[in-house]
Amino acid sequence: MVTADPAQRAGARLRLERVSKSFTREGQSAFAAVRDVSLTVEPGELVTLLGPSGCGKTTTLRVVAGFEQPDEGRVYVGEQDVTDLIVYRRSIGFVFQSYALFPHLTIFDNVAYGLRVRRLPAATIRARVGQVLELVGLPGYERRFPNQLSGGEQQRVAVARAVVVEPQLLLFDEPLSNLDAKLRVQMRAELSRLQRQLAITTVYVTHDQEEAMAISDRIAVMREGVIAQVGTAEELYRTPRSAFVAQFIGRVNLVESRVLGATGGRVAVDLWGASLSVATDDAYAPGQRLFLVLRPESLTLVPESAKATEGEVVIPGVVRSRMYLGEKVEYAVEVAGTLLEALTYDPARRRLFDVGARVGVSCEAASVRALTAESHS
Amino acid sequence: MSRGRDPVVAPAVVLVWAAVLLFVLYPMSRLLALTFWDGGPTLEAVRGLLGDWTHRAALVNSLLLAILVGTAGTALGFAFALLAVRSNLPRWSERALDAVVLLPLISPPFTAAIALIFALGPRGLLSYHVFGLTNVNIYGLSGTLLSETLTYFPIAYLTLKAVLANIDATLEDSAFSLGARRWRVFATVTLPLATPGVANAFLLVSAASLADFATPLILAGTKFPVLPTQAFLQITGLYDMRGGAALCFLLLVPTLAIFAGQRRWLERRGGSFVTVTGKASAATRVKSLSPAAIVVLAAACGLVVALVLVCYLIIVAASLVRGLGADNSLSLAHYAHVFSGGLKAVRDTLFIAIVSMPVGGLFAVVLGFLVARTQFPGRRALEFAAMINYALPGTIVGIAYLVAFNDPPLALTGTAFILVVCYVFRYSLAGTRATTAVLAQIDPTIEEASASLGARRDVTFRRVVLPLVRPALLAGMTVLFIRAMTAISATIFLVSLDWSLVTVRILEGITNLELGQASAFSVLVILLVYLAVLVAGLAMRRLNAGSLGRAGTLLGG
Repeated sequence: MVTADPAQRAGARLRLERVSKSFTREGQSAFAAVRDVSLTVEPGELVTLLGPSGCGKTTTLRVVAGFEQPDEGRVYVGEQDVTDLIVYRRSIGFVFQSYALFPHLTIFDNVAYGLRVRRLPAATIRARVGQVLELVGLPGYERRFPNQLSGGEQQRVAVARAVVVEPQLLLFDEPLSNLDAKLRVQMRAELSRLQRQLAITTVYVTHDQEEAMAISDRIAVMREGVIAQVGTAEELYRTPRSAFVAQFIGRVNLVESRVLGATGGRVAVDLWGASLSVATDDAYAPGQRLFLVLRPESLTLVPESAKATEGEVVIPGVVRSRMYLGEKVEYAVEVAGTLLEALTYDPARRRLFDVGARVGVSCEAASVRALTAESHS
Repeated sequence: MSRGRDPVVAPAVVLVWAAVLLFVLYPMSRLLALTFWDGGPTLEAVRGLLGDWTHRAALVNSLLLAILVGTAGTALGFAFALLAVRSNLPRWSERALDAVVLLPLISPPFTAAIALIFALGPRGLLSYHVFGLTNVNIYGLSGTLLSETLTYFPIAYLTLKAVLANIDATLEDSAFSLGARRWRVFATVTLPLATPGVANAFLLVSAASLADFATPLILAGTKFPVLPTQAFLQITGLYDMRGGAALCFLLLVPTLAIFAGQRRWLERRGGSFVTVTGKASAATRVKSLSPAAIVVLAAACGLVVALVLVCYLIIVAASLVRGLGADNSLSLAHYAHVFSGGLKAVRDTLFIAIVSMPVGGLFAVVLGFLVARTQFPGRRALEFAAMINYALPGTIVGIAYLVAFNDPPLALTGTAFILVVCYVFRYSLAGTRATTAVLAQIDPTIEEASASLGARRDVTFRRVVLPLVRPALLAGMTVLFIRAMTAISATIFLVSLDWSLVTVRILEGITNLELGQASAFSVLVILLVYLAVLVAGLAMRRLNAGSLGRAGTLLGG
């Protein structure tokens, strides 16, 4: 049954072991799309591969699906090594960016396709297609054709077609990128609900960090064919291990700085003349260059004359631009020749500053994250 | 896709390769061997030919004729294309234009030639009875040129129509907005953008003329020998296979040059002159032709259309009277002959055409799919090899088949089998191209979706690809039917007493001076072919294949 109890239906564990894949285009040298990627997705978990275009996330997904054969490395589903298994012998459900519905088949025949290939009896097929269409909210659509459906509806059919065969793995390749912004937010909530309900181990590819944060149990941030960092959305946002991850997940002011002194677990850094003590896992030596991650929402604008409290610095600056966006105000503040982005939420209840105003930029040590200079590349 | 490990693609590739090797590359290599090998490499055959005045003249005449027909046909085609695309003609008149212009493309060979003999021959309806001229000579260069131009300009028309229609109107609009006048816009924007298309059209028409066997056979006469007819006469008249093969080689060289030139143009066009953006540009009316220019164009094209129509009316009239020009009394005697003594040829031709359709259609679709959607070593080579029989003049293909398949163990000439094979490998390219065009519009992820749902490659092909390429299959089969009904240049070497063809009966009618019978056969073929086009058009509409449109538009390539 498609609507199984998660406890009964622990999905399969997916394990990628040092997978590499390169492509050769005619007349060009080989391009390493994926390099030495290892990743484990727990049964029933949803892991997102997130990164800019060309980072290797789709290639990784296609290796998992069996559309691409890795040059090196192995892919395991449960205990089985599926690396050399051709795609149609694997148990996967793949949802394509373009939906890839069969234009010549009705919705019923589209969803029934995988069941017919598996030679299930007609009565079973009818029952399961009916159930799954109910599940995705499209009962009664059986006799329509794909081109008679809206983008969102086609997306649901694509999902229905993928899950009706009860695959061990559910794979999504940027499934929402062809939908408009509002529908995207609605659909991602539905996909997330459906995935939790079915408890199928899922790999989800997107370049939209908000989408990734909204639906994932964990996110693997990819860049240039390698996984930069894996973690929950909160871990990635609060403790990025590289400037790339800090910049890709959320917005950030990346400020170059210098180590003043280091003691166990903390490092004292220079912030435009003020000293700030920041927690860190890395080892630093005095005088060493490093980068500080200052999230815009952790920078608070205060009157120029305000005094800093314990664990906080206030740096003088000038407001260069102000954008009123309703629930928040975006400032650009110039501090010692550098433009910093600062956000003030709930502006109705806060004091606002005009362009040209001299202000203090308040920054709490607890919300600052230090990165070694090497991680900035 | 994980192509290397697919258990279905490999056997399909092997099968297609084997067929192409046996029915394309093997006969061609036998032909070349016969020309250049006589116990050792030799140039004797070619040298012998070049020593003969007739053969040297044939080479020069063929090239001259190709250039002249190419020029005239392209000019005419360009005029028609301008009129159709750039002059705001009402929809019905554009349709009518298309219908008339398509006639020569789907007619049996000799049609224009017979009509011209009736119209402009020694006692021609136009030359003698209307204008009272007695010194008009339709035989030779001028008559051949006129007949071939009328027959082949539609190729240029179809090519150039597509080219002109694809030029974004906003480009011309922006030239106007910059202050250019009509002639300047035409000369600096429209014409340069159409240039690659014009060159392509010229090469296509030239190649058609170079390959044409039927027209010169009737109209060129002994004073104006050309290569295809010389090769035919060398073999059927003098039983000199080696000489025929060597003449084929002489014909092969310019054909390959044209082919190479055409590929270059096409590649270049793919590069810099793409003005099709896929963006629906505002439907601005093109204004780069002045009303006066349109009137002149319309008058010129109208005259040509009238000439074409007169030709066909003459054929119909000739089939319905005892002897057109001599005894103009109505009679169904010619048709009575067609349906008695000629019935076997009609039945044979229909049988072969109908068998060729599904075989060639499936071959075309499988080949198109393999080339467009799979990876295997030698893919480009296969694509090229499969095109050879199509690209070469029918005379060469026919003689190569005769050389290769006349003796045991492959004594196939004269059988229905070899006739079908000849058509399949010669005329399924249209279907292959249509297939790759359709596949190009279908996201490959649709096939991946099928695979991800557990379908093997052959299941995907049967359940997804084949239904989706049905329009291409239909178009490919229509073209095969039309060609099988009207072809002669290759198959004239392969017919026998057991298996004859209508086109061969038409030729016999002409050589026996039974022009009425030849006309009746021609009218029958034209009607059958038009019926097929009509049925295909209806079926196409039912398939709802907006992207492919009328089957007629596929006949140009």
